[in-house]
Amino acid sequence: MVKINEYLESGALESYVLGAASKAEIEELLSLKSKHPQVEEALAILEADLERIAEHMAIAPPPNTWLKIEASMNELVTSPKMEYLIGEEPVERSRPNPGSRKTEQFIEVEGESGHMRIHKIWRWVFGAVFILGKIFLAFAIYYYLENKHTQEEIQQLKIELSNQRKK
Amino acid sequence: MVKLEVIMLESTAQVTIDHQTQSIRCLYDKHAGMLLGYIFEVVKDRKLAEEYLVKIFSALSLLREKQGEVDINTWCQLLKYTKTKLLLLHVQNRYEETHAHPGMTVVGPANIYLDRLNEMQRRVFCEVYHHGQTISALSVALNTTEDLTRKTLKEAFLIMRSGG
Repeated sequence: MVKINEYLESGALESYVLGAASKAEIEELLSLKSKHPQVEEALAILEADLERIAEHMAIAPPPNTWLKIEASMNELVTSPKMEYLIGEEPVERSRPNPGSRKTEQFIEVEGESGHMRIHKIWRWVFGAVFILGKIFLAFAIYYYLENKHTQEEIQQLKIELSNQRKK
Repeated sequence: MVKLEVIMLESTAQVTIDHQTQSIRCLYDKHAGMLLGYIFEVVKDRKLAEEYLVKIFSALSLLREKQGEVDINTWCQLLKYTKTKLLLLHVQNRYEETHAHPGMTVVGPANIYLDRLNEMQRRVFCEVYHHGQTISALSVALNTTEDLTRKTLKEAFLIMRSGG
């Protein structure tokens, strides 16, 4: 009994509550806490003290602070930044988003974009093919009209020849 | 059937995230002012303190949670979490802060709790409470024994409680 009172008076609980205790001190405190209910009571009183001190020092945050936090949380859920993850275990999670929810077990290899990148040289190739296409089209129209005209002339000559024979 | 399962998974994830946001909002409503006051005491700069407050509450959303609820419930847990975060955030920004705004430290409101303590008690309490010093490191800095540092911390608590 004397020993536990000495322990309570030593300041070990205060340093634990403020997070200043070493690993060995924390272990000792936890083992004593399970055996002596006075330790738990004293810890509850100290936590209440700390809360009261903090309440006294409180400063009301600006009204838009929660909106900033919410926006920051949404941003973090989609792409966690390193500065937030320092000292944390990495947690993989993402907001459900139709289209992007392929599977959580696999790394996405195929990009979702419908565009592709090609070498610049292909621009000249496509240009040349287009111009050649136009040239062939012009030739095709020219020869078609030429052929039609020749056919009409032949027809005309045939008629003239048959008329001369009749005479 | 598969589509239904996907929809259910999505809605469960959405509910979990919404639930988590709600539990962080509860924590914010209860402790944001206290936390801002605490951070301000550490950094002595109102704007920086507000910035850190946003970062710390946002970082809570990355914590592993139980059924959508953040594991931190009490002020003491939030304070411990803040101390570890603040130590890292403030170390990163300390150089920029001192060079970008030289001398731009703001004096906070008079603290009736700290005013009751003597020089040694105030130093021990502030070093541990605000700057996260361990008892052993502080004892070395103060050139005293760990037992004596703990006793001084205990006295500080007793004095602040008696005047509360």
